[in-house]
Amino acid sequence: MTFGERLKFPFKGLVLLTAGVVLAACGETKNRETIALFTKNQTNPYFQTVRVAAQAAAKESNVDIINYIPTSNDSIPEQMNQIEDAITKRPSAVVFIPVDSKAMIPGVEKFNAAGIPVVNLIDRADGGQFVSFVGCDDYAVAMNTARYLFEKMNGKGNVIIIEGQGGSSNNQKRMAGFRKALEDFPNVKVLASQTGNFQRAMALQVTENLLQAHSQIDGILAANDAMALGVIQALDAANRKALVIGLNGTKEAIDAVKAGKLLATGDCDGFLQGCMGTMAAVRHLRNLPVPPEVVFPITVFDSTNYQGADAPYEQRMCPKWESIVKD
Amino acid sequence: MKYRLIGVALIVLALGLSSDAFATPSNLLNVLRQASLIFLSASGLTLVIVGAGLDLSVGANLGLSACFAAAAIKATGALSSGFAAGLACGIIVGLLNGLMVTKLRLPPFIATYGMLWMLYGVNYWYMKGDTIYGFPSSFRALGSGDLLDIPIPVYLMVIGLLAGGVFTRYTTLGHEVYAIGANAEAARLSGIPVSSRLILLYTLSGAMAGLAGVIYLARLNSAEAGIGTPLLLPAIAAVLIGGTSLFGGSGGLAGTMIGAIILTLVLNGMNLLGINSNWQPLVTGVIILFAALIDSVTRRHAELGA
Repeated sequence: MTFGERLKFPFKGLVLLTAGVVLAACGETKNRETIALFTKNQTNPYFQTVRVAAQAAAKESNVDIINYIPTSNDSIPEQMNQIEDAITKRPSAVVFIPVDSKAMIPGVEKFNAAGIPVVNLIDRADGGQFVSFVGCDDYAVAMNTARYLFEKMNGKGNVIIIEGQGGSSNNQKRMAGFRKALEDFPNVKVLASQTGNFQRAMALQVTENLLQAHSQIDGILAANDAMALGVIQALDAANRKALVIGLNGTKEAIDAVKAGKLLATGDCDGFLQGCMGTMAAVRHLRNLPVPPEVVFPITVFDSTNYQGADAPYEQRMCPKWESIVKD
Repeated sequence: MKYRLIGVALIVLALGLSSDAFATPSNLLNVLRQASLIFLSASGLTLVIVGAGLDLSVGANLGLSACFAAAAIKATGALSSGFAAGLACGIIVGLLNGLMVTKLRLPPFIATYGMLWMLYGVNYWYMKGDTIYGFPSSFRALGSGDLLDIPIPVYLMVIGLLAGGVFTRYTTLGHEVYAIGANAEAARLSGIPVSSRLILLYTLSGAMAGLAGVIYLARLNSAEAGIGTPLLLPAIAAVLIGGTSLFGGSGGLAGTMIGAIILTLVLNGMNLLGINSNWQPLVTGVIILFAALIDSVTRRHAELGA
């Protein structure tokens, strides 16, 4: 997207806004079904992918999406407020990514009490009632990607781990996955495990520091792609080499895989999840069967299989429900 | 000033004794590189605080400037356009802050807090969750390269420090800033054009945030809407740990550099020693309080002795 293209958007927005006001004033808006989509933040491209996919699925099924996104990244109180806002507007269904799998349980219970059906997307909530869980297992993604790295290291060498935000359940699952993979590779030694708070700049700074302390680092495991890319900047600047893995499969990470900078990024496709989460909600509204769990296979993107994942997501289409969910 | 150095000296001594990797030239330069980025984002802010103002929008401004700079470089291929876009964004935001505080008489906290959210909003809309990445190595060198074995951001810090020192010590304008910070009403009665001076300070703070945004972009090789969010509190902390009073009228850039170095040393030390991530926030808090305590105790001691 060019500078100019980016700037054109407010005018489109204004036109839409005006059109919306006019339509609403005439009272001619049809009573379409609405789906409230809760994502975790505005800044992580992963959730933008999910939103674009949900929009694509909604368009195909003739429903409207209302986005709820905390302005402070992953803010628990803000998502809680947004749940209350959403309940007053009574959407037909909710597709919900909790900012925290434990802390948001009371929020889910509010939807349950209000009788609004909820599909749990991507990050599994630890409680509350859901129509279905659509997503994949963070623990397994982290474990498989770490295993892939250790195999590429021939099962031996020194690694460092750049952790995510302390206390976040996402980070706990990913660290547990890394640890599980380490158990199978006794000759892989962890030199350091330090937090980068899921932030690129901090991961860069922490890696710079760790490079000072450890002269031989063979592999670096980062708990998300943004941090893995920060790690790569630190390695490049210091003229050091190590195999780096990230998690999430963002487009930037895939490009780094293509350029040979990043060994691999583990993911279950954000676009597919956005599609399937929305479709699950629509199917529930139309009394079509939805299994209690739709768990996707994990992909570790490396130099052999990134093709296709680097396409702009605006051009992608949602798959048919039946092609993914087989009875 | 000199009392703050005692805190730094103690931290350096402790780390030097406990980690072999700490007291090496390459690690000390590494610390200076990291500190210089905090310093840049906090330098204009220091002068605003000396003038008894506050700029909470530095982090958000830095983030937006970095994103605009990134988009400009991608669009034109010219690195100069990145500097122009980043600085222009920073300056305009700073100018608006100054106008809000002086012409609309909004309290600095509220004016710049409102600005912070507006800038996040503009940035979220503009970036739409995207990341702009991949810049030429000649540009990246500004953030991560060396010149004569010294990191390039460190030169910027030294230039900022010298320019700021000359400004505050040897120019009438600089003296006026301290006078305004100490007592704005008295400054106005003695003929200092307070409003225009404050506008200048906020604009300067914005400009430095814009410049810091471009340097961060060069360092990270990528820009995303959230890039500046975690940088606000460290910038304010560097200013205050450096001894600039939130009430205005005292302090300066040398102190802010010390503050930035203290903050950087804490993380560097924890990483080198391999402190468990769960304990890091606690350790950070204790060391910052410890540094401030040494400062206040030694200063009181010196004042009593004098």
